[in-house]
Amino acid sequence: MRIGVYICHCGLNIASVINMDALHRKVEEMEDVTLVKDIQFMCSDFGQEQLIEDIKENNIDRILVAACTPKLHETTFKRVLEKAGINPYLLEIANIREQCSWVHMHNHSMATQKAFDLIKMGVAKVKLLAPLQIRKFKANKDVLVIGGGVAGIEAALTLADAGTHVYMVEKEPTIGGKMALLNEVFPTNDCSICVLAPKMTDVQNHPNIEMRTYSEITDISGSVGNFNVKGIQHPRYVMVDRCKGCIDECSHVCPVEIPNPFDSGLGKTKAINMPIPQAVPQSAYINNEYCVGCGLCKQACPADAIDFSLKEEEFSFTVGAVIVATGYQGFDAKRKEEYGYSVYPDVLTNMELERLLNASGPTRGKVVVPSTREIPKKVAFIQCVGSRDETVDNPYCSRVCCMSSMKNAQMIKERYPDTDVTIHYIDIRAAGEMYEEYYVRTQLMGVNFIRGKVAEVQLDTQGQMKLRYEDTLDCAIREEPYDLVILGTGMEASTTSDPIAKMLNLSKRPDRFLSIAHPKMRPVDAHINGVFIAGCASGPKEIQTSIAQGSASAARSTRLLAKGELENDPFSAHVDPEKCIGCRICENTCNFNTIKVIDGKAVVDEISCQTCGSCSASCPTDAITMPHSTDEQIIAQIRAALEVKDEFPLIIAFLCNWCSYGSADLAGTSRIQYPTNVRIIKVMCAGRVDPDFALEALQGGADGVLVTGCRLDECHYILGNLDAKHRMENLKEVLDEIGLDPKRLRLQWISAAEGEKFAKTIEDFVDELTELGPVGSELPEVQE
Amino acid sequence: MSVRNEPNVLSRMEKTGSTILKCMHCGVCSGSCPSGRHTSLNVRKLLRKACNDPAVLSDDSLWMCTTCYNCQERCPRGIDIVDAIFEMRALAVQEGIIYPEHRKVGELLLEHGHAVPINEENRTKREALGLDPLPPTVHSFPEGLEEVKKLLTSCGFDELMSEE
Repeated sequence: MRIGVYICHCGLNIASVINMDALHRKVEEMEDVTLVKDIQFMCSDFGQEQLIEDIKENNIDRILVAACTPKLHETTFKRVLEKAGINPYLLEIANIREQCSWVHMHNHSMATQKAFDLIKMGVAKVKLLAPLQIRKFKANKDVLVIGGGVAGIEAALTLADAGTHVYMVEKEPTIGGKMALLNEVFPTNDCSICVLAPKMTDVQNHPNIEMRTYSEITDISGSVGNFNVKGIQHPRYVMVDRCKGCIDECSHVCPVEIPNPFDSGLGKTKAINMPIPQAVPQSAYINNEYCVGCGLCKQACPADAIDFSLKEEEFSFTVGAVIVATGYQGFDAKRKEEYGYSVYPDVLTNMELERLLNASGPTRGKVVVPSTREIPKKVAFIQCVGSRDETVDNPYCSRVCCMSSMKNAQMIKERYPDTDVTIHYIDIRAAGEMYEEYYVRTQLMGVNFIRGKVAEVQLDTQGQMKLRYEDTLDCAIREEPYDLVILGTGMEASTTSDPIAKMLNLSKRPDRFLSIAHPKMRPVDAHINGVFIAGCASGPKEIQTSIAQGSASAARSTRLLAKGELENDPFSAHVDPEKCIGCRICENTCNFNTIKVIDGKAVVDEISCQTCGSCSASCPTDAITMPHSTDEQIIAQIRAALEVKDEFPLIIAFLCNWCSYGSADLAGTSRIQYPTNVRIIKVMCAGRVDPDFALEALQGGADGVLVTGCRLDECHYILGNLDAKHRMENLKEVLDEIGLDPKRLRLQWISAAEGEKFAKTIEDFVDELTELGPVGSELPEVQE
Repeated sequence: MSVRNEPNVLSRMEKTGSTILKCMHCGVCSGSCPSGRHTSLNVRKLLRKACNDPAVLSDDSLWMCTTCYNCQERCPRGIDIVDAIFEMRALAVQEGIIYPEHRKVGELLLEHGHAVPINEENRTKREALGLDPLPPTVHSFPEGLEEVKKLLTSCGFDELMSEE
């Protein structure tokens, strides 16, 4: 066996913390290591060529790369191995950047020691790797776009124009999303619906787009290349193909008047209505919640389009990729009680002002003070309502409110030059092309800017609204009367995306928006392969960026599916019939029904196997092997980590590939420092962790064992983490029985977006173990 | 989180010192302050001063806060503003920055076990209401007063009040 070990400096990212010379020398002394090299940048062309050259010259037959997280360059190096003529699966990555140099920046000597341990663990695994063959499978080329707002529209049109068949599913009776409700849009002040409506019509008329409005997704199963989607379309009680969109005939006779949800409840509409004049499809719908079934509309309809017998319709299809463009929801201003929204009639939100400004809104474009119906003389905008505010759990900036308030201030000034307009702000955030210029233009139009977040809105004894605030530039505490107050409400993660997130196992950030695979490098990829996120579903964004993300997710899904064939790692479970006793435990464990006991022996459907390894952990006779993550490989890693116990306490941690390993990587990229005392072993799922692994670790001298997985209802393998929970809780009882403190085994559920939580977990566990003392110290001393 | 480039007041504020660094100077605290509308107190400026000026401990406005907690309730960065004011007040007193009025109150506490001991007027009022002239506090239990004094001495309160 001839192993090549490559240690990457990553510029100074690794080399400034880890003593590369010392590390190099130690690795050289390892058994079976034929060649050790340290290279400035392994991922560079030079690094890759060096690898190929060395493999050929020195007959290297397997490789360990000590560098950044495998999530970044594992595929790169696999390809290099292929080029050099050796099997790409004879590669292992030791993550000495995210798991070492970036998180132990102030402890150079222990970081160096830990890096050596990580390499040792990697080499131990490399020795046991077996060559495997990549599996190819057919992928469906169709794409599902969830959400018909501007991001979804852009994604669907881009894909459809490129020849991809697209399904678009929208929950409202019209597509267009929030943008269709806006009046004018910054930085050009063009009419929002005028620029959006043509795209909405294109979606409807495109031969490659199958659009379903007033519909919901009910189930998504399968994985990249083959997602099976089910949904329902609610009945409109109006036949879309017959309705002429004349609307006046039917809604005129309708006796049921309701607050118009598309006017933020400001205006009134009827139980049969068209949400907005430019609705797509151009068809009325009957709001089932309010309709009394009198049938007057049916009599009035000249096209005979109304049919009360329409039923909910189920639909299903298969797609290769999913674009989630579920948007945002506006912050509920009632939660900031100090501003009196919904108590004082003349306090409105920016979205309501949009509707007042809008020619097809409730006042046909006239801005009025609700209580007097007169044009306001003095208007105040209050910024950061529900954004940058920990008291409502929204610490983030909503990004668009500064610009949208300035835009609305401009609109008011343009139409009513005598009206006094003031924007109360904390910081004006106008970062975007033409945005700063827009800010200047707003100033030049005579809009006042006062720096200081408004403390409260009060009514004085005459019923006049007064704003209390500190002008922080003057350091003066003031009180000022206004007759109209507009709240610049922020964006929140939409709760309607919750069921979608659950079906697709998407993770959420602590701010509740959907989390993306890398906070910088992969802006539209979800953590789940084949799922993309566009627009405000992943955080507040302006229209321009939402459109860019719509295009980006279309490009990313095209890149994925263009060949119609996908490659899959051949990691499916394998049963040794000699060892199998046909006990059916694995059959019950598998969450994907891919194991069946036939003629007394378990048989795995290798194509549908999701490779979590929970069956392997459950097998009482160890008959199930997970290629590339075998029991022998994992135990070899544990033993290598514990061969020399170089610090106390020492923790062996099992991290699942999808969430918790990602959280450790995020701790790394965020440079969150934590103690060096942990040695990480990556498994596909927490469910892969066989209790034997934990016992092996404790027996070998580990002071603690940490098993982490996705948050309990977010497991990538549905219930793999629950399997782990049951097994580890049972194991705790066993530990108790043999006299070890069960606290030495810790379980933690961490999403990929929770780097801080990962670091905190290690910190806490180290503290706890320090208190407990070295493993075995709790056992009674053996009497001689 | 540790306090970097620590100016000494902040680093001595164990509970709240590091959180003050989060302040974005939005002014919600000062705008919400009922005292600040009538006095020289500007809570925001006081916190800012805590970051860069040791003289904050002798700032008069430190004592203008009524501790109504309006600012702390509303602070969008979750800074425990009033708790910080308490910490600063404690530091000021430890440094001997004590107003004569406060020292007087301290002395009363040391002597009578009450910051506001009973006086003739209250005694008469109590009797008129049919109550015992003395409340059931250390006023009625001299042995209790001894214990209060012992407690105050054991935590160094007497020394704090006597220092000039």
